[in-house]
Formats: sequence, structure tokens, C-alpha cells
Amino acid sequence: MDEVEQMDVEQTEVQNVGYDDVPGTILTDTNAISEFLKKTKVQDVLNWGRKNSLWFTVNAMGCCGVELLATGMAHYDTDRFGIIPRNSPRHADVLIISGYVTKKYLPALKRVWDQMPSPKWCICFGDCAISGGPFYESYSTHQNIDDIFPIDVFVPGCPPRCEALIQAFVELQKKIEEKKDKGTEY
Amino acid sequence: MEETVGPSEMIVHLGPQHPMLPGPFRVNAKLRGETIVDSEVEIGYIHKGIEKILENKTYLQGITIVDRICYLEALTNEEAYVGCVEKLAGIEVPERAQYIRVIMEELSRIQSHILGMGEYASFIGFVSMFMYTIRDREDLMSVIDSVTGARITHSFLRFGGVKDDLPDGFKDDVKYVFGNLKKAIDQYEVLFSSDSIYKARTVGIGTLTADVAKDLGVSGPPLRATGVAFDIRRDEPYLVYNDLDFKVCTQKDGDVYARIQVRLDEMRESMYIVEQCLDQIPSGPLFPEGTAYGKRSPVMRIPAGEVFHRVEAPRGEMGFYMISDGSDKPYRVKIRGPVYPTLQALPPLLKGVTVADIVAIAGSMDTCTSEVDR
Amino acid sequence: MDANSIIASLSDKFPDEIYDTDIESNIRIVAKVKPENVVDVCRYLKDELSFGHLCCEFAADYPDRNGIEVIYVIGSYDHPVILTMKALLPRDKPEIESVVPVYWNANWYERETYDLFGVKYLNHPNLKPFIIPAEMIGEWPLRKDYKGFPNRTANNLV
Repeated sequence: MDEVEQMDVEQTEVQNVGYDDVPGTILTDTNAISEFLKKTKVQDVLNWGRKNSLWFTVNAMGCCGVELLATGMAHYDTDRFGIIPRNSPRHADVLIISGYVTKKYLPALKRVWDQMPSPKWCICFGDCAISGGPFYESYSTHQNIDDIFPIDVFVPGCPPRCEALIQAFVELQKKIEEKKDKGTEY
Repeated sequence: MEETVGPSEMIVHLGPQHPMLPGPFRVNAKLRGETIVDSEVEIGYIHKGIEKILENKTYLQGITIVDRICYLEALTNEEAYVGCVEKLAGIEVPERAQYIRVIMEELSRIQSHILGMGEYASFIGFVSMFMYTIRDREDLMSVIDSVTGARITHSFLRFGGVKDDLPDGFKDDVKYVFGNLKKAIDQYEVLFSSDSIYKARTVGIGTLTADVAKDLGVSGPPLRATGVAFDIRRDEPYLVYNDLDFKVCTQKDGDVYARIQVRLDEMRESMYIVEQCLDQIPSGPLFPEGTAYGKRSPVMRIPAGEVFHRVEAPRGEMGFYMISDGSDKPYRVKIRGPVYPTLQALPPLLKGVTVADIVAIAGSMDTCTSEVDR
Repeated sequence: MDANSIIASLSDKFPDEIYDTDIESNIRIVAKVKPENVVDVCRYLKDELSFGHLCCEFAADYPDRNGIEVIYVIGSYDHPVILTMKALLPRDKPEIESVVPVYWNANWYERETYDLFGVKYLNHPNLKPFIIPAEMIGEWPLRKDYKGFPNRTANNLV
């Protein structure tokens, strides 16, 4: 194949987001209208819409990942609450950390979290995500994940039953309604 | 695989968070157009160091940790670990406990195959099949739950026996569930074999011949789909498999379609084994007579020695090599998982196929990444 | 092909390299081998005695004997006998020849042993960091004198 001439493309100045190898990534974090609306009654209507359709990323990492898949499917149906599993992080609102996070996987998980558009929430599912679980002595897992991500709901158990995950979503909905969640910056 | 690219090639990383791959591992594929020229598999994203953790726990505490190596076949992991310790210490398991172990392990095999087939069907786009199999799997999970007390990670076996006896009415529950399951498996077979789109995607893809499979070290259903009848329940029997009548299921073609067929046949054989066990099970004690096993949790010192014990897991041959030095904690435990060589055999199979077939081939090998990484 | 005839034929062919053989039962045999001749013994096992299935290959650390022992567990598709071969290496310079030309699936087992113990395999096609993250190479986590274990950073430790 012949050589293609390289044309000079104008690049706009991007903010430093912490890693330099993904060009063009910009976080949307300022919006004056939405700051104004947060102090009015319109925010209640927005919260009602957001809490009734929380979509989560399918991110099955450990043993709790099997319970995650089983909850989204036929028997323990979450679709009746408006919660469906989505494949791409750009479509989703909730990240469920279901299992242990190792030192090798943490950069990839951070990148998935950064790709999700705001407002976004995080649920810790299982003992391993809360404080290490049965592998608390391991040399290669991250024991305290809530130093890195802003967690809203913790679900203990090893593994928790599928009904516990549905209760976790209901608790998150109550938190959003009372404006005490960490996902929207009030 | 080399990192340099030619004039019209590119390298694609199918990274650890990808909805199609079964489990977090990464496939680096070098493409020319849309056909794969070379590929490489990177693992280690969920490595927890179980072998080091087991050196710091007593033998009884190790049963709960070993459960979580491959969470879809938890009872088989426990059987391999407990079998090692029983061989080292010379413990004889009574007959009723052996029959209960065989029943629970075969039920666990059925639910693992159902989930594997359902996940594979959802990767190639047949999502309705995933919904059907999950719905049928829930009945089995409630039966297993009524005996062991948990859905996935059971901690049910103990040295010398099992923790609890079967509850009343277990035989009728199992008969009812199997009645529905037999009709469901016939329905799956009809769905798989009568759909021409499914056949165009699976027949002739990812073919292994018997010599190549033996050379690459594959075991389990991918090896039995090429015609080699290698099954540890037949070659080196453990528990009561000597007294039971079952056949080893093989196929001849070795492609993706044949592997699914082997799993369907194995589910039927497992149901037949469970029915035989429920007819033949004797009554008796759960732990050896006159010993302390089962009465309290003893601080056990296992005599020094080395042993290698292997069992037939749903995904292949699973083995534990244990070195003990006479104290109450093991000196070195090596876990030989069934999927480790099967995943290693993936790059030679991916030469010359298109990108859309990566997930079909990887899904039919039924990988459980948690036990590749340990 | 039973255990006695296998041991007899091995000791006949390699009288100096194989020592300390032991028959534990009629399906388990143990032998020790000198580290320089591992590839020849494996080739004889695979071609003549039909031991074609490498179950696993790993290492164990013995600081009191001042050595690291590499253990091969080899089985077969035709008969149920399993042979365990052990080779003892000095602890400050553990190097051994790689058996990848004989058994294709030893590739990943040897990479993992290098990651966790530091055993260098000569003539290995691809010895790169594998299971542990690249910045942890050099710490050899599974040796007995590793400092970073057990980890005590969890917040709710009792």
C-alpha cells in the first residue's frame, strides 16, 4: 500500500486528567444551570426519574460475579425496578464492584469508572470488596477499596444472596430521594 | 507474538473488562483486515495468591479457602483437597458419606454445565437460551441449598465424612426436579441442532484433532469431543465410582458444535448416576467409628509426606499436590487447575479465523478465569 | 506397563542420572534426577514409555536444605501410573533447562515458577512477567523469606 500523507490536525488543549496516554478525554464537571437547579424543587423530579432507572455495568470479577449475573436474569428479576445490565460503561449509571480488586486490575477499573458519565454511583458487593474478605492476607489484592472510590452502599456476605443485591438497590433509591448520596455533588 | 506490524496489520487488545469474554483476561490479536494472524493471552488480573495463603492457615481453615478457587464447581475443589489430607493421614471414609459426596458432586456438575452452555449461547448472540438455562438452574440451586446451606461456596466436606446428612424428602425433590430437567435438556438439544444460523457459526470452527489435543495438554470435554475417552472416574476411580454404571461420552469431530454435544450428553449421564446412588445408598454413620473426626474440630497434625490426588472436575482434570512437614499447617500446596492448559491452547486455534469467532471458540472451552489465576 | 517395569527400565537406561527411586503404590512412583539431564530423561519418557501428559511442574522452597526443588508430575493417557521427578537446585543461583521442546504445555508452568520463585529457565521461548504485576518482579513472593506476607493493611482487622 502506498504511503499516506500525514496531515497536521489542530489539537485543542486538554485538561490533565491523571493519565497521559488517552488523548482527548475531558471530564464534564461544570454546568451552571444544573448547579442552580439543585437548590430548587425541580431537583426532586430529576431525582425521581434517576432513581427509577438505574442501569449497571456488567463487570463480573470474582465469585460474587455469578450472583450478579443471576440477579439480572429470570428468577430474581431486577427489570421490574427499572434496573437492567448494560455492556458498555458509557451507557451505565452504577458500578458494582463484585469481588476482589488486585493491583494489576486497578488501573483498568479506574478507567472504567472514569468513562461513566456523571452522576454515577458505586456499590460494594461482597466481603472482598469491603475489606479483603477471606483473602485479607494476600500480597496482591487491594484491601480497602473505599479509599479510592466513593461508595454509597456496602453489601456484606460471602457471597450475599441475590435478594441482598435487590435490597441494596432499594437503599440506594432511598438515598437518592433524600439527597444524601455521594453521586450528585450537592 | 511480535509487537511489530506490517503495512496493513494492526494489533487489537480485547481488554479485561469486555462483556463478551468469559472472565477478566486479555487477548492481544494481530489482525490483517479481519482475519487473525497471531494472538497472545495475558492473565493475572484476579491473582490472589491462594497457595501462599494456604501455608498460613490450619488444615480445617483451608477448606473454606479452597472452595473459592473455581466457584462454579466448588465441591470438586473441596473433594481434591480433602482427598489429599485423607490419603496422608490414612482416614477411611464410611460408605454413606461416600455416596452423599458422589450425589452432591454430580448435581454440581449438572449446574456447572448448564451455566457454561447458557453463557456460551449469550456470547454468540443467542440470548434467549441464556434466559432458559438460568431459569432451569434455579431449581437445582434450591435443591443443593437445602442440603449444604449455601448456593455457591458450600464448605460441606470434612475430613472423614460430610457435615450434614440428607434432609427428609430429598428423593422426591430430586425426582421432581429431574422430571422438568429432562424435558428441558431435550428442548435445548432441539434448539441447538435445528437452527441453521447456529450451525453455520459453529460447525467446523476451532477444530482440534486427537493428536494435537494430546500434544497441547487439553483435558475434559474439549478432549473427549475429539474421540479420546480419557475420564478420571474411569481410569483412576475414587469414592464409589467403581460400583456405578455410566459411560464416557465422546464425539468425533472436535469442533465447537461437538463440545456442546458432549456437555449435553454428560448432563444426562450425571442424572443417571444420581438416580443409581439414591437407590443404592446404605444407612450408616457419617464419620469413621471410634475416632474424633466430626465430634469436635481437632487440631490435626498430619504426618509428613507428599501426595498427589486428582479428580474429574466439570472442566477437566483437577489435582492437588500437597507437601506436609508434620505440623498443623501445610508446607506447600500446588493447585493444578483444569482450565490452565486449555486456555494455553487458545492461540494456536485462533489462527485464520475472524474476530467474531474469538468469543465462540473461547466460550466453548468453558474457561473459569478465577482458577487460571488462583 | 506397571510400576516395577517402568522403574527398572528407567534405571537401566540412566544409571547415573536417576537416583533415589521409590514405589509408593502400583500407580505412584517417585524418582530424583540431576538438573543437567532433565530434557533427555523427559524425551525418553515421552517416546519409549508413553508418558505423554505433563500434569504440572512447580517448585518448593527448602531454606534448611539451602535449595529450591523443581518437581515434575508426569502422567499418561494410556496407563494410570504417575511419575514424580524432583531436581534440587542451589538457592542462590537456581537455573535449569526448559522442557518446552518435549512437552508443549510446560510453557505457562515455567513462566509462573519464574514469577513466583525466581527459577531461571534456559532456552525458554518467552520468559516475561506473567501472573504478578510487572513492578513486583524480583520479590519472589512464594519463597519462605518474603517480607510482605501476611498483609495487615485491612481497616477492620481484629
